Amino acid sequence: MSANPQFPGFLRTSIGRKWVVAVSGLFLIGFVIIHMAGNLQMFAATPDVINRYAYFLKTNPLMLWGFRLALLTAVAAHIWAALSLARENRAAKPVNYAVAGRKSRLHVTLASVTMVISGTVILGFVIFHLLHFTAQVVDRSYQEMETVLDGKAVHDVHRMVVAGFSKPLISAFYILAMGLLFFHLRHGAASVFQTIGIRDRTLSRVIESGSWALAAILFLGFSSIPVAVLLGVWKL
Amino acid sequence: MKLHLKIWRQPGKDHPGKLEMYDLDGLNPDMSFLEMMDVLNDRLTREGKEPVAFEHDCREGICGSCAMAINGEPHGPNDGATTCQVYLRSFKDGETLTVEPWRARAFPVLKDLVTDRSAFDRIMQAGGFISVNTGQAPDANAMPIGKETAEQAFDAAHCIGCGACVAACRNGSAMLFVAAKVSHLGLLPQGQPERKQRVRRMVEAMDAAGFGNCSNQYACEAVCPKEISADLIARMNRDYALSLVPKL
Ligand code: HEM
Ligand code: SF4
Ligand code: FES
Repeated sequence: MSANPQFPGFLRTSIGRKWVVAVSGLFLIGFVIIHMAGNLQMFAATPDVINRYAYFLKTNPLMLWGFRLALLTAVAAHIWAALSLARENRAAKPVNYAVAGRKSRLHVTLASVTMVISGTVILGFVIFHLLHFTAQVVDRSYQEMETVLDGKAVHDVHRMVVAGFSKPLISAFYILAMGLLFFHLRHGAASVFQTIGIRDRTLSRVIESGSWALAAILFLGFSSIPVAVLLGVWKL
Repeated sequence: MKLHLKIWRQPGKDHPGKLEMYDLDGLNPDMSFLEMMDVLNDRLTREGKEPVAFEHDCREGICGSCAMAINGEPHGPNDGATTCQVYLRSFKDGETLTVEPWRARAFPVLKDLVTDRSAFDRIMQAGGFISVNTGQAPDANAMPIGKETAEQAFDAAHCIGCGACVAACRNGSAMLFVAAKVSHLGLLPQGQPERKQRVRRMVEAMDAAGFGNCSNQYACEAVCPKEISADLIARMNRDYALSLVPKL
C-alpha cells in the first residue's frame, strides 16, 4: 500500500472538513440516541433499573473512559471543523443583497441558519450538564445520595435526577437546550447524508422526514424526564 | 406597463456603489428583462448619462453571461430561466424591482452589474477537461455508454457557468457549479483516467478562489437556470473522499 501524498491536505479543504463535521456529528447522534434510551429507564417500574445501569457504566472504567475519550475527540473535531467552515462562509459573502430573495424559494429555514447558535447553546448546556449530574458540583448533596442495590450501597441516580429537575429553572434550561438540539438535528441529521454522498431525488424525502422525526423523538424523549418530575410523577 | 427600478451603480472595482432609482413607463409586458435594460440605457445615453453596464451575449439562455439578481434572486423570480429569458409579464405593473450584481467575495464587482467571474475559469483550468491526443475526431459510437449514464452526464453538462448558484448561496459557495463539472466528466468513460485528480484539483481551486462551503440548504438548486440538481454535490462529496483512498 503506498501512502497518498494528498492525504494530509484533506483537513484543509472544504469538503474534507465537511466530512469531519458529518462523521463526528453522526457519532454524536449515535451517542444521544443511546443516552436517551438509557435515560428512559427512569420510567421503569422501580428506581433499581436505572441505578443498576448507572452502576454498570461506572464500574467499567475502561469502557467508560474509552467512550469519554471518543466523545471528547468527536466534539472537538466537530466544533473545530464546523466553526472554521462557518468563518469562511461569512468571509465569502461580505455584501448581501439590499432586498432579500423569498425565503421559501431560497430554502432559508430557521434550523439551517442557526446551526452555530444552536450548537453553541448545546455546548454550554453539555458543560452545565456534566457539572450538574456527572461531577455533581452544582449541588454537592447529590454526591451523598445512596441506595442499596443487591446488598451493595450504590449511588442513587434516580433520586438525584428527581432532585435535580425539581428546580423549575434548571428543568426549563434542559428543555430549552433539547429544543435547540431538535433544531440542530433537524438540519444536521439530514445534512449528514448529503455530506457523505448518500442522497438523491428519491432518498431525499425519506432523509428529510426521517431526520425531522429523529430530532422530534430525541426532544420528546429527553424532555419527558424533567416534565415528569415537574408533574410530580416521582416523590423525593 | 410601468416599473420602478433600483439599480446598483458602481463606477469601478474599488469604488463605492449605491442603488439608484429609475422609473420606466410605456413598457411592453412581452419585452425581456434585458430589452427593458436596453430601453433604459437608450434613455440614459440620450440624456448624456452613463448607461448601466451589464453582461449579455446569446439572449437565449445558453451562454450564462446575463448575471443579475432581481429582488435578491439571481436570474429573477422564475425557475429554470436566465435573466434574458425573464419577461416583464412576470412582474406587476408599477412594481419596484431592485437589480444588483452577483454578491460573493470570489466575484468582485467590476462595474455596475458586471462581476469578475474568472474564478470559474481557474477552477475549469484545474481539472475541467480530459486529456486526449489531437487528430481525427473519434467515431461517434466507438465508445458505448449506457443510456442512464449518458443522461446523467448530459444533465450535469447543462451547466452554463453563469454563477447564479454562488450568487444565491448565503455562503457564496460554488459547490453546485464544481459538482456539475466534476460529475459531467467523471460519469463518462473518457473522464475516468483523470477522475481522482480532477475532483481533488477542482475542489482545491474552488477553495483557493475564496468561495464558501456548502451548508446543505440548496438555494443554488432553486435558482439554477439549468436546474442542476444538488444531488450532484452529494456525488462530488463521495467522489472527493474516494479520490483520497490510497491505491492498493
Ligand atoms: C450533541 C451535540 C451535537 C450533535 C449531535 C451535532 C450534530 C451535527 C450534525 C449531524 C451536523 C451536520 C453535519 C453535516 O453538515 O453533514 C452538524 C452540523 C453543525 N454543527 Fe453540530 N452537533 C452537536 C453539537 C454542536 C456544537 C457543540 C456545535 C458548536 C459550535 C455545533 C456546530 C455545528 C455547526 C456550525 C454545523 C454546521 C456545519 C456546516 O454545515 O457548515 N454542533 N451538527
Ligand atoms: S450550476 Fe446552474 S447556477 Fe451554477 S453556474 Fe451552472 S448553470 Fe449557473
Ligand atoms: S444572455 Fe446568454 S444566457 Fe442570458
